Amino acid sequence: MVLLQPDPFLNELKSMFERSTETGSVWVTLKRSSLKSKVQRNKMKTAGQTIEYRCLIRATDGKKTISTSVGAKDHQRFQASYATILKAHMTALKKRERKDRKKAAEDKKDSGSKKPKRV
Amino acid sequence: MVYITSWDEFVERTVQLFRADPESTRYCMKYRHCDGKLVLKVTDNKECLKFKTDQAQEAKKMEKLNNIFFTLMARGPDVDMSEITGKEQIEAQPAKKGRGRKQ
Repeated sequence: MVLLQPDPFLNELKSMFERSTETGSVWVTLKRSSLKSKVQRNKMKTAGQTIEYRCLIRATDGKKTISTSVGAKDHQRFQASYATILKAHMTALKKRERKDRKKAAEDKKDSGSKKPKRV
Repeated sequence: MVYITSWDEFVERTVQLFRADPESTRYCMKYRHCDGKLVLKVTDNKECLKFKTDQAQEAKKMEKLNNIFFTLMARGPDVDMSEITGKEQIEAQPAKKGRGRKQ
């Protein structure tokens, strides 16, 4: 497992998505972690130190695993770029089926002019 | 574990699960491009909550859940959730006005 900096991680995640378009899946896991072993944590606890937790992000395509971690200060920037990547690559999901919606609307005596209020 | 069908229920229960045991709860997303499927899973190794979808609409909602979990995990489970949702409200408010609520 390679622990990367957030930016290389995002780049690698991008290519993982690109590699898995024909076949395969991508997994991304978020976990709250101190990145320390239990022994270390217990030592710190007894020493009265506060344990710093970060958000550990792991990604795999089944062949390669990469990981990174973000703290309280930098998670917002990371989650924004992460969201952008997801948006750019999750293109196989179905768009809302407009036809059915229209039909249902017409059945309700409401002509097709009705726009969905929530976006 | 059975898939939860209601998105709102999924969000509520996963956040609860995380709050109950922040150190062993993980949030996992699986995306399969060739089948166009997205599966979300949150588990603390005792209980497992899953949500499955093939709709782009749900992926947008997932973005919000991602933000919730990033914040909860990076800042700690005690973080004020209204801080996250508060920002959205600020963004949503002017939009609401624009949508024809004539003061």
